[in-house]
Amino acid sequence: MSQVPQITRIQELIYELPIERVVTRNVITVSPDTTMSELKEILRINRISGTPVVEGGRLVGIISIEDLIKALESGDIQAPVRERMATRVITVQANESVVEAVKKFAQYKVGRLPVVNEHGDLVGILTGGDITRGLLEAIGLDYHAEEISRYRARHIFEDIVSDQTGLILRYHIKPRDFTGGGSASSKIKRALDRLGAPPLIQRRVAIAAYEAEMNLIIHTDNGGELIAEIQPEVIRIVATDNGPGIADIEQAMQPGFSTAPNWIRELGFGAGMGLANIKKCSDSMKLESQVGVGTRLEIVIRIQPVMSSGNAARPSEGQQKQETS
Amino acid sequence: MIALAEIVQKLNLEVVGSAENLDRRVVAGYASDLLSCAMNRAKKDYVWVTLQSHANVVAVASLLDLAAVIITEGNRPDDETIARAESEGVCLLLTPKTTFTVVGELTALGVRGEPEQP
Amino acid sequence: MKLRDIIRVVEGKVLTEGVNLDMEISCAAGADLMSDVLAFAKPNALLLTGLVNPQVVRTAEMADIAAIVFVRGKMPGPETIALAREKGIPLIAAPYTMFEMCGRLYEAGMASCDLDTKQG
Repeated sequence: MSQVPQITRIQELIYELPIERVVTRNVITVSPDTTMSELKEILRINRISGTPVVEGGRLVGIISIEDLIKALESGDIQAPVRERMATRVITVQANESVVEAVKKFAQYKVGRLPVVNEHGDLVGILTGGDITRGLLEAIGLDYHAEEISRYRARHIFEDIVSDQTGLILRYHIKPRDFTGGGSASSKIKRALDRLGAPPLIQRRVAIAAYEAEMNLIIHTDNGGELIAEIQPEVIRIVATDNGPGIADIEQAMQPGFSTAPNWIRELGFGAGMGLANIKKCSDSMKLESQVGVGTRLEIVIRIQPVMSSGNAARPSEGQQKQETS
Repeated sequence: MIALAEIVQKLNLEVVGSAENLDRRVVAGYASDLLSCAMNRAKKDYVWVTLQSHANVVAVASLLDLAAVIITEGNRPDDETIARAESEGVCLLLTPKTTFTVVGELTALGVRGEPEQP
Repeated sequence: MKLRDIIRVVEGKVLTEGVNLDMEISCAAGADLMSDVLAFAKPNALLLTGLVNPQVVRTAEMADIAAIVFVRGKMPGPETIALAREKGIPLIAAPYTMFEMCGRLYEAGMASCDLDTKQG
């Protein structure tokens, strides 16, 4: 994942994740009738510095080690907690989102917040650590799902054994579909990413496929078919249509030669550079055409053994980050 | 205002088509690869930066009376287009540099996107 | 150069949400022909263009372009913005001509995406 979506995801989660999903439950509590001396033992045994005070399930106050020290100083150690506790307690609601707790931590400079439900019953205690752990877990789930997809896709060629295993992706391309144009190439690129193809290969295939796809959209009468055949060491893109066909292939291959209508040129296409681009991206290409019958373009891109293994292992990062030239 | 000849020299441009414009003064620059945009926005004595090299570029330049067209990224017009540029008095300047770099260098020489206000 | 600094130089407005403004941009290109953009394809590049149709975003996706700046205050339609959102490609609208913006960015030290003879 690139940095942008991750940051966005955490921002989203802070708003999405309810406090009840991350709060620590089963916390140690005392009753208002507990004596300060009993409290001392509870704090010592459990190695905690304070506890919520609960009466009949409801949160009625909070008592801390500081209150205990003051009680010891004033010789009031047998007093009930009720007399020494703080009753104005800052709390958060269990069904609020985590962002509310984050705000209160910052506003009141406290390290923990009692969490209550809509009736004022104590649900648990929330710390900054709980929030961090909850966010990490939530992201981990997302991250894991994508990792599993990638892992499965990447091992297709190892899992399925044959003399020649290939994955065939087939797309019907509609003529003049300028708005939707490129969606087939986009899917091919994504498939290669999941399969773990190196970023440079992904880009070369995507560019060649996209130029071929746009040619079908711009130049054909009835659209055509774009097929990507992915094998462990080679990717073959085939674009076929049934007309109108190219009169002079040699001329068509010349950079700058174009038969595109003006409206296409004004949209940034049809400048006669498409086939030259495809040629540059491919290891070999073959263009066959007959006027009135149709055109077949075949592009072959070989996957070189990857020099640094990091390339193949993290293709998604490479999309944005790796310098490949 | 800078003379075209100085731009040619400073940017190391190859002159094809008509050279009779080289003493003209350039008032501003325009960059686009779309002919319709150039038609709408470029004006007399502008220099137009584009990678397009086909014959219609000459037609636009002639129509608008541009000071010159700088054709970038090593694109080269065909002989027919060059002949047309010569006959219509259009100055074509060629460079292997990108549009971005050429515009940057023109800007450094004081050519901006709009003419300077007198 | 960071995207944040580029936006300041061209006085641009970000049209898509969740943009990482600290993203490093390696080079810039001003181009209106999509095949040209595909030819200079470099990761982390900035594209300045006068076109606002969805194919600009598609092209950026194929070529791993990091962000797109539209010139002369041109506003893309909802289809273009929706596709950019889906693909996580920031869109920026800026008021100046391509000439003026290339000039400003060049003066600010931005590198040009030079065409390689070899694809990559």
